[in-house]
Amino acid sequence: MRLTGRFLHLAMGCAVLLLGWEVIGRAGLLGKTFPSLSAVLRVYADAPRWALLVRSSAATLASVAAGYAVGISLGAAVALLAHLVPSLRGGLDRLAVLVNALPVIALGPVLIITAGRESTPAALAAVPVFFLLYTSTRVGLRGASPRLELVLTTLGASRRQRLTKLEAIAAVPSVFRGMKIAASSAMIGAIVGEWFGAPSGLGVVVLNSMQNFQIPLLWATVIVIAAITLSAYGLLTLAERAARRRIGECDG
Amino acid sequence: MAILALTGVTRSFLRRTRTGRRESFDALGPLDVEIGDGEFVALIGASGCGKSTVLRLLAGLDEPTSGQVQINGQPPRELQAQHSLGIAFQEHALLPWRTVESNLRLPFEIAGVAAPADRIGELVSLAGLQGFEHARPAELSGGMRQRVAIARALALRPKLLLLDEPFGALDAVTRRRMNFELERIWLEGRPTTLMITHSVDEAVLLADRVLVLTERPGRVRRDSAVPFARPRSAALMRTAEFHRLADELTAELEPA
Repeated sequence: MRLTGRFLHLAMGCAVLLLGWEVIGRAGLLGKTFPSLSAVLRVYADAPRWALLVRSSAATLASVAAGYAVGISLGAAVALLAHLVPSLRGGLDRLAVLVNALPVIALGPVLIITAGRESTPAALAAVPVFFLLYTSTRVGLRGASPRLELVLTTLGASRRQRLTKLEAIAAVPSVFRGMKIAASSAMIGAIVGEWFGAPSGLGVVVLNSMQNFQIPLLWATVIVIAAITLSAYGLLTLAERAARRRIGECDG
Repeated sequence: MAILALTGVTRSFLRRTRTGRRESFDALGPLDVEIGDGEFVALIGASGCGKSTVLRLLAGLDEPTSGQVQINGQPPRELQAQHSLGIAFQEHALLPWRTVESNLRLPFEIAGVAAPADRIGELVSLAGLQGFEHARPAELSGGMRQRVAIARALALRPKLLLLDEPFGALDAVTRRRMNFELERIWLEGRPTTLMITHSVDEAVLLADRVLVLTERPGRVRRDSAVPFARPRSAALMRTAEFHRLADELTAELEPA
């Protein structure tokens, strides 16, 4: 009963917001660059432009997925290396911080001439993902309870057993947390990467529609980007919660 | 026959003085202790007297600055590698994502041997947790968790069982009940045991011998045999003999 009540409130709030949008857009209260909701929705009903959005989403998602996968694998692998080889820790920590401190946008032109126009979005998506996964994996691996480490050591566990039976499992919730935050960063990286002249993608549509003053298309594209990012974030939040429930904060 | 022997063992640590200089201070020893096969020894002493250091040395988690630690004529690291040590800490020492049964299976996995078919069931009933095999630690009470931790320590029939304040986190009533539970569990195999505790009553109730350590650096101030027959009961704790021994040991804990 209370849940439906809350849902009703939410739905009513949304309706008011959307209605306000429509009215402001129609009346032109915020200028020509603020279209009405119906004008934006008509973009999705228009077959050629819908096809363009689908095609572009596929291209962007491919870049995001590639960059996300590479960033996660590299970030987690390098974090594991830092965890297992103490002498490399300081250096790798500094490297990760350096990667994070780089102004990624400034890298764009360099990537264009090295990685090529097609791969730049994926490369720019991978950079922040790498840093976030490095950090979250390191924190997670270090987060295993010291007492449990002692128990395993006393039982005669090898380094590998301590890793596989304790540390790696204890790290899972933190890794998921990193993946959750990294999803939005990957999308930002890919869109920015596409602005440097990728052949297709949502970032390209944003740029072109802005320059050609196709205002409803611009808004429609931005909404698609937001919807994809928020769904990914939502799904990963559920995954993270499930992991935390299954594994628990590692001090039980 | 001494199964466990500490000979002239000392352990020093570095500490920073007020002026920022590092200086060495002695936490322990020289300490000479012998424990016989199947003996249950309790170690008591004021906070910071090096009790935990003794345990860490015996568990192979730390090395003495000088002297020798030998268990069955071997250094503790050797026993560790042979999976012949059992240890139970105060709390928080079960893998939270594993069930009771799976936690009890851990020592076998680490030793790389298959758990004998009925051994896990045996350990579950030793811990008195029939019906809770598939419960996770978060679903158990503090006392139940501690029984699992002790049963796990005994899983591989260790040559040496180390207990570090095993009931320190429990309330007084549960703690008393757990003391008798521990004796019951211990009597089934009588492993050589060293228990660290703050409680003199607990030490006298459970041990064959009580060692009192001095303040830092920890040395054996007193070594008292506990003459009471096993299994011991709550009635024993009301006898004059019990109180006399406990009072004597408590007096030894006072600063000299």
